[in-house]
Amino acid sequence: MEWEIADLEDKFSVDLTEREGKVTISSVTVNGNTHEFPEIRISKIGKNSTISLETESGTRPAHVKKIEGKWWIHLEGEVYVVNEVEKGGKTSESAGGLSAPMPGTILEVMVKEGQRVREGQPLMTIEAMKMEHRIVAPKSGEVISVNFNQGDRVDMGATLVELGD
Amino acid sequence: MFPEWMKGAPTPFSSVLVANRGEIAVRVIKAVKEAGLRSIAVYSDPDSNALHVEIADDAVHLPGNSLTENYLNSEAIILAAKSSGAQAIHPGYGFLSERADFARDVANAGIVWVGPSPEAIETMGDKISARSRMIESGVPVIPGDEIAIPEGSDHMGALASAAARVGYPLLLKASAGGGGKGMRVVHEPKMLRTEYEAAAREASAAFGDGTVYVERLLTGARHIEIQVLADKHGNCIHLNERDCSLQRRHQKVIEEAPSTAVSNDLRKAMGESAVLAAKAVDYVGAGTVELLLSPNGQYFFLEMNTRLQVEHPVTEMITGVDLVQKQLEIASGIKLGISQDSVGINGHSIEARIYAEDAKKGFLPSVGTLGVWIPPSGPGIRMDSGVRQGDQVTVDFDPMLAKLIVHASDRESAIRRMDNALSSFVALGVTTNIGFLRNALLHPSFTSGSITTDFLDSTPIEEFDPNYSNPKIIVSIAASAKRLGLDKSANILSSSDEGDHSGHSGDPFKTLSRRLP
Repeated sequence: MEWEIADLEDKFSVDLTEREGKVTISSVTVNGNTHEFPEIRISKIGKNSTISLETESGTRPAHVKKIEGKWWIHLEGEVYVVNEVEKGGKTSESAGGLSAPMPGTILEVMVKEGQRVREGQPLMTIEAMKMEHRIVAPKSGEVISVNFNQGDRVDMGATLVELGD
Repeated sequence: MFPEWMKGAPTPFSSVLVANRGEIAVRVIKAVKEAGLRSIAVYSDPDSNALHVEIADDAVHLPGNSLTENYLNSEAIILAAKSSGAQAIHPGYGFLSERADFARDVANAGIVWVGPSPEAIETMGDKISARSRMIESGVPVIPGDEIAIPEGSDHMGALASAAARVGYPLLLKASAGGGGKGMRVVHEPKMLRTEYEAAAREASAAFGDGTVYVERLLTGARHIEIQVLADKHGNCIHLNERDCSLQRRHQKVIEEAPSTAVSNDLRKAMGESAVLAAKAVDYVGAGTVELLLSPNGQYFFLEMNTRLQVEHPVTEMITGVDLVQKQLEIASGIKLGISQDSVGINGHSIEARIYAEDAKKGFLPSVGTLGVWIPPSGPGIRMDSGVRQGDQVTVDFDPMLAKLIVHASDRESAIRRMDNALSSFVALGVTTNIGFLRNALLHPSFTSGSITTDFLDSTPIEEFDPNYSNPKIIVSIAASAKRLGLDKSANILSSSDEGDHSGHSGDPFKTLSRRLP
């Protein structure tokens, strides 16, 4: 089992032992490099989402819950989303494709297949929650495909436009 | 049966239908109940289990899949009022709150309207007529061009020449607009058409009117607004200012009262202008006069919001006046009972708007299930929330989930209190702006009290980057949680899961009258 943190590209795996509800982390492997980590101990508090995190710098509470397939963690005012991935599995992002950042309705399509676009050029406008959002080209390149038309409803993660070099 | 406080009121009522949803419906319903009146909620299908429905004495279902069929459907709402026996309607903010025809229909149906007259809404709701009325009344306005650009073809010529007269950078504003919708900044002529089309489309979708006009963009200005209260007997006072300069794309993010930029003399002058503006339309009820304060101390009328404002709590905290209670009293015809001299400023209050949005992805709205929702609590902390643990956040509605308000003896203490409250706020399952709010609050420009309305849009997002913990610790937590079987808990979505901490336990007023040391 490997782990990914949202917005980070690294892949992690964790070596741990559990005894009487207390987990001790022995090492964490980041992209194949193993780091010894003897000082972390984690245990559950009560029957809710609260855990106790014990490190060199002391003991702190954290909140963790698996929600819709992802692990959500609150630690010291920040929130992290962690995914479990099968070893050697693919990441969810498809290369060169621009996926819908949220579910919504396509308001406008500004580009055609075969057209060359420059970085930052608006490609589509999506409306969600009464606000408009522009989808812009993350890099310069040629539009390989435009997968939706004006008025279409799109789900989060749907590939809207594919960009080549 | 009318409550004791309403005795002798010219237009008494014993029940109020709240024509809204989310946190403001919850806020108003609580006030209605506290006033000894029967509260009636309305709801569309996705809201059938919403918090505002749960806490109301009665609730009426509004059919239809779109907002125009339910929350924006004045006929359906008046019908709901009649069928439930509601004697008054409170519109909240947004939705129908600034629709003059709705206010008129409510009155014609023999129902008490908690708000100003349809004429006042009409005059102030149309930005162009509001500007003209303010010019007549001697309230300063921003230089601009009142030419209206109606939606439709053959407008680019008129628009381009109006833009050239006003000069770039300029602001395209929906005449019927508000809340940043239908408003676009244009920096150069070649962007005029694109931005106009976006503004008109947004205005059309949000307000049913795509008319826009052109105004000069004032840079380095602060957004200062004055709360006013007026009764039906000609009494009108102001309740000091709110500073709402921390904005992103014209959407307020953090608001505070009082403002660091307003001296006693300036407060008096702005307050008097606001009262003048309200009186120019024979205003009745709670309203807000928005002003832009330029770096040289000049101020200009921006618009008047003829309704309760999202950020009204900060005024309540520093003045001790419950604005919704006052709205109900005024609607019943009772006299204001507060003199201008008796309005003071007690301490400092800050409000942060909790949005379901992802700061790291250009503030895109986020969706999901609020699997964990543990708002902060404690002295001087107020939560106005429309959601509770287990609720779904969808694209159907505005992404604002809740408002976190703090009150303390001075600004520095209020910032510390807000920082602490935000960092202990646990919201999991939906990405929120809580981390971003904390970093904006602690930015040196905010703590020094010197930010202007262009601050957030002109500051690189990296300056608000959080202090992330070591990722190895984060994955260790996830792996341990899995080993400990935290994903096996049966009642992931149960709102009673977190005991007393969850949801809406805080009454918005529990800390209002608290005397601070």
